[in-house]
Amino acid sequence: MPSKVERWKDETYGMEIRDHLLRFAEEGWDAIPEDEHDAWFERFKWWGLYHQRKGQESYFMMRIGTPMGRMTPEQLRTVGEVAREYATGPVENPEFGDAYADFTTRQSIQLHWIKVEDIPDIWDELESVGLSTIQACGDSWRNIVGSPVAGRDADELIDVWPIVQELHETFKGNDLYANLPRKWKVAMTGDRRGSGQGDINDLAFEPATKELDGEAVAGFNVNVGGGLARKEPRFARDIDVFCRPENATDVAAGLSALFRDYGDREDRFNARIKFLVDEWGPEKVRSVLQEEYVDYELPTAGEGLRDEYDYNAGRSDSPGDYIGVHDQHDGRNFLGLYVLVGRMAAADVIELADLAEAYGSEMIGLTQRQNVIVGDVADEDLDDFLAEDLLDDYSPDPHPFLRGSIACTGTEYCSLSIVETKNRMVRYGRWLRDNVPVPEGVQDFHIHLSGCTASCAQPQIADISLRGMKTRKDGDAVEAFDVGLGGGLGENPQFADWVKMRVPADEVPGYIANLVETYEAERAGPEESFRDFVAGRDEDELAALAEAEETSYEDPYLGNTKLTWYPYAEDTSMDASPAPTDGQGEPLPSDD
Amino acid sequence: MADRVLKVNAFTTFDLLDGAVEGHGFEEGAFATLNVRTAREAPEEVTLELELDNTELESVPPHADRVTLSAAEAERLADELQSAADRVASAEEE
Repeated sequence: MPSKVERWKDETYGMEIRDHLLRFAEEGWDAIPEDEHDAWFERFKWWGLYHQRKGQESYFMMRIGTPMGRMTPEQLRTVGEVAREYATGPVENPEFGDAYADFTTRQSIQLHWIKVEDIPDIWDELESVGLSTIQACGDSWRNIVGSPVAGRDADELIDVWPIVQELHETFKGNDLYANLPRKWKVAMTGDRRGSGQGDINDLAFEPATKELDGEAVAGFNVNVGGGLARKEPRFARDIDVFCRPENATDVAAGLSALFRDYGDREDRFNARIKFLVDEWGPEKVRSVLQEEYVDYELPTAGEGLRDEYDYNAGRSDSPGDYIGVHDQHDGRNFLGLYVLVGRMAAADVIELADLAEAYGSEMIGLTQRQNVIVGDVADEDLDDFLAEDLLDDYSPDPHPFLRGSIACTGTEYCSLSIVETKNRMVRYGRWLRDNVPVPEGVQDFHIHLSGCTASCAQPQIADISLRGMKTRKDGDAVEAFDVGLGGGLGENPQFADWVKMRVPADEVPGYIANLVETYEAERAGPEESFRDFVAGRDEDELAALAEAEETSYEDPYLGNTKLTWYPYAEDTSMDASPAPTDGQGEPLPSDD
Repeated sequence: MADRVLKVNAFTTFDLLDGAVEGHGFEEGAFATLNVRTAREAPEEVTLELELDNTELESVPPHADRVTLSAAEAERLADELQSAADRVASAEEE
């Protein structure tokens, strides 16, 4: 029997949801029938809107999908202006102020505290510069991820930007693929870095070469069925298909149609294609694709470039990100600037857009490590750009502990999370910077912090994985983390080993300090990366590497932030929430 | 070491309980998660899921336990839990 969500989707889904949203915006929050909230909130996701958590009723998170995280400075400025005008709530965030944009691990942008009444004006502003919230969430083609500097990177096999644009245009707003059994995440990589992180996507195009008809062709190997969610993470499986660049749209259409037709619509937990690949095996995926969905003979896989991958690969010979100054193939440079936990104040977003434009940049990129890239800076302008005040906060040369930090949204807004995340990761990063010596040779140290067992901060593929839990301390329930070690992608992708459970949140910095000290003392030498160090040890050795302990670090969010209406309010109790509010942000009268 | 078997998020019934595992010749305590689940659509039974933190246990491999209850069984369990809770509450008041 089809699931409840499938029934809601049968009634209304896809493009038509926009008309309903416009109607609700006109009539106000109260016009959304209370007994239909679940159905409408599920549908709104297709247009990039998530209703925020309990205590924040009538407020939405809005996600803007930017393919490969790529924008023009003008588009970035519009994001900043929209955030400044509309993404403000009743209470300021103590670290980030009252208007900011979040850059996500899927190279999208998230704004919070959006009111339904403001959506038409926001869409007008975004769409006037070619941005959209379409299919940013929901059961369809999500934002396509990959390297923002495709076509500029001096280190690439194929420029995938034209292909990604074609995929984006083909599959956004396309009724044939608008209603899939679950989300559909696609990565396309054309560089030698592995920066698409295709291994954790439903469909991954990985750069490869193959001799076809006596000619060496640059194209892609096709992998299917990766993903981190639930307790069963999977790396995408090789289905032994090589794809020429000109066939990418056909192959992508075939595989997403195969998922549409054969994916599980009865059990949403089982609805991702990774479980279909488990059930069928890669050989059957290939044969069904060949027989039912493509009308040319699929070549077998070509020669990949995996041994060159360094993005989030935990290598000691290469930092696994885009931070710093890099060569473009046209002689100019792109600069990777770190954005701590991916959150940037609206005023800074606007200032960065202005700076980029002033230096002649035509490209801004958001990375899967929640950082930002400014492209096209000429050699002669580099020193001036690097001396700009804004780069004091968004540095091209950050401290290794800050550089590698990623955090999901957490209890600030998210319905699933059980711990506070972003502000805590900011505090962890600063404390580690100020108190923990960095072992020689370590340029970046990846710490991914997620608020629950959903995997929005990609916790399984980090040097240190932190995942929200609870524990008891001095008789009180406190926020805590399960700790994993040694995950990463690259030539031989590996999920983290979970070595500690329920470490109290205020003892995590002490644990990391002790762990780093042990690593420095016991590693074979600076050439042994932390990931290699972990890989060389068994379970018992890993568990014994370090102990958690209290330090000078203080954690203001140790209590149960899930139970607050907003963790940073003066009065955090649910009763103190002003929500739901009207279009002006004024509390609406309660029915009680 | 193995990951958790049960997912844990804000909808989990209990993410922090005291648990114990006992067998012939062994007994160990660990924190536990306990969750009540029903199917989203046309549920026919209630599932109770229990998992003890595997990092704390040496005597059993990482796992979760699950029992399924009919609606009537779940109601009976709820009744017994209610009476037991009442007894504990009144004992505390005395």
